[in-house]
Amino acid sequence: MISLHAVRKLYNEGRPSEVTALGGIDLEIARDALTVFRGPSGSGKTTLLSVISCMARPSSGRVFVDGRNVSGLPESFLTQERRRTFGFVFQRFNLIRGLTVLENVLLPAAPLGRAPRDDAERATARLEALGLGPKAHVLVEQLSGGEAQRTAIARALINDPPVLIADEPTANLDTELAMRFLDIVAGLRAEGRTVVMTSHDPRIWQAALVDRVVALRDGRLDEEQP
Amino acid sequence: MTPWVRRQQALADYTLAAMARRRVKNIGLLLIYALVIFVIASATLFSTALRHEAEIVLAEAPELIVQNLVMGRHDMISAEIIEELEAIRGVGGVTGRLWGYFYDRVNGANYTLMVPLDPKMVPPAGQALFGEALPRTRGLGWDTAPLFLSRYPGDLFRLDPAGRLSHESALVSADLILLGEEDFRAFFDLPPAVYTDIAVSIRNSREIDTIVAKAGKLLPNARLVTRDEISRTYQKLFYWREGIMVAMAGASVLAFAIFAAEKASGLSAEETREIGILKAIGWDTRDVIAMKLWEGGLISLGAFLFGTGLAYLHVFAFDAALFASVLKGWSVIYPDFRLTPMIDGVQLTALFFLTVLPYTAATIVPIWRAATADPDQVMR
Repeated sequence: MISLHAVRKLYNEGRPSEVTALGGIDLEIARDALTVFRGPSGSGKTTLLSVISCMARPSSGRVFVDGRNVSGLPESFLTQERRRTFGFVFQRFNLIRGLTVLENVLLPAAPLGRAPRDDAERATARLEALGLGPKAHVLVEQLSGGEAQRTAIARALINDPPVLIADEPTANLDTELAMRFLDIVAGLRAEGRTVVMTSHDPRIWQAALVDRVVALRDGRLDEEQP
Repeated sequence: MTPWVRRQQALADYTLAAMARRRVKNIGLLLIYALVIFVIASATLFSTALRHEAEIVLAEAPELIVQNLVMGRHDMISAEIIEELEAIRGVGGVTGRLWGYFYDRVNGANYTLMVPLDPKMVPPAGQALFGEALPRTRGLGWDTAPLFLSRYPGDLFRLDPAGRLSHESALVSADLILLGEEDFRAFFDLPPAVYTDIAVSIRNSREIDTIVAKAGKLLPNARLVTRDEISRTYQKLFYWREGIMVAMAGASVLAFAIFAAEKASGLSAEETREIGILKAIGWDTRDVIAMKLWEGGLISLGAFLFGTGLAYLHVFAFDAALFASVLKGWSVIYPDFRLTPMIDGVQLTALFFLTVLPYTAATIVPIWRAATADPDQVMR
């Protein structure tokens, strides 16, 4: 599904403050699998996630999504690829304050020009499935942490992407909510979605549901566990 | 509905919601913007209305005026000249005119006294038609009170009111007194068979230059003034006054453009983060710019309508109280005259582009810079 060949990512390239975030990664991510990147802070987990999901271009190396080389695509094509293939759940959820749950969920659909009623029905159904039906018209700043995360998941799925990207999704959740999140991920996998996430939470990468754990250290692959 | 329209609708909906969330900032911006437009629109509407007033008056003016000059100054002209002018081929009619100025020591105003060319306008002996400003400045009860003019100590010349001149011509008739020929000659102590100047009508207006040339040869000491020259003098006068206002407003526009650019470039941390989120969840640079253009469009259109509406009220309902002294104050009795509402579509369109485009131009680069931000930033 996604493959990386000798991917390097440098920040502040050519300046005295240059940082190597990824130092030559070769990786294959299987379709319909749950892959978790683990590693200490600064190991390159989030950068790797950004490169995989077309949010950032590699400084060198190639990234293939469904066989298409996306590493050198211009921004507009990269956006289309991101829109078509990926849904995102951010560590801090990144919901937009002042908007309701439903409005937040509909945001990724806004630039697509689809029929608003169809999108609203799809969003409502997704919110119902995640137990947020009664909260659809509540402002997001009034949500609990778990509700905010489920809203972020609903938003990530509104365009029906085949891949869900989640960056430290349980970092701000207690154990019960972390387990609830894993239940949701299990449901997504059952729908046939690929899930890629970062986590330094053992509750996540030790879960039976996880297909593959990729360990990172200093921007390089450290070890792999089945 | 096409996907493009639906996309614009969705972006506009989001923009409205975003603006509502930052309502204090946006209302402040709108008010400052509207104030700038108000100043420019007031100057423009006012000058247009003044020029319109001048056109109303000059439409009835004679095509050519002949004045006698003595030592380079305007002097009375002999009635014999009338016959000489009538002899020029192409001349339609020649009429001697009687008019003059009177300084009223009571209120320090300068009145224009005139015998109307239209016989229907000539008031009966002992009576006069007054411009609208005159009874007001003299504190006269309109229907009943006679006007007494004192030419020298101990003298009082009485004129009873025969009516009031139309509001539409107030620009040049506010201080006008129309009276009969006998009263006029008596008031100024004029001998018969002299006139202030001579009005000439032309059969074919395209021949005016030829007739002016012939009259010039016939009367080498006379000054020949065409209606177009008078019109140009009025236009220049108003353009000059409007220019002062527009120069002042230009400084406001520049200040506003700097303010708008600063506002747009200094996007708050929350706005920058929001743009990053939108890009990360699938919006591209075009979507963000379109959303920001909607925002700019709504603000600038709102400010344009608000500012122009206020300017209309200011000029036509409140007599341009803020700028009148700059734009029309060459006579002590003018400040109260009322303008006829008049809007020039071309000027309004020009105003729209002169105010909305600078704002858009000032904001587009900072917006583009923010919109091209790397979505990767929100991951951190």
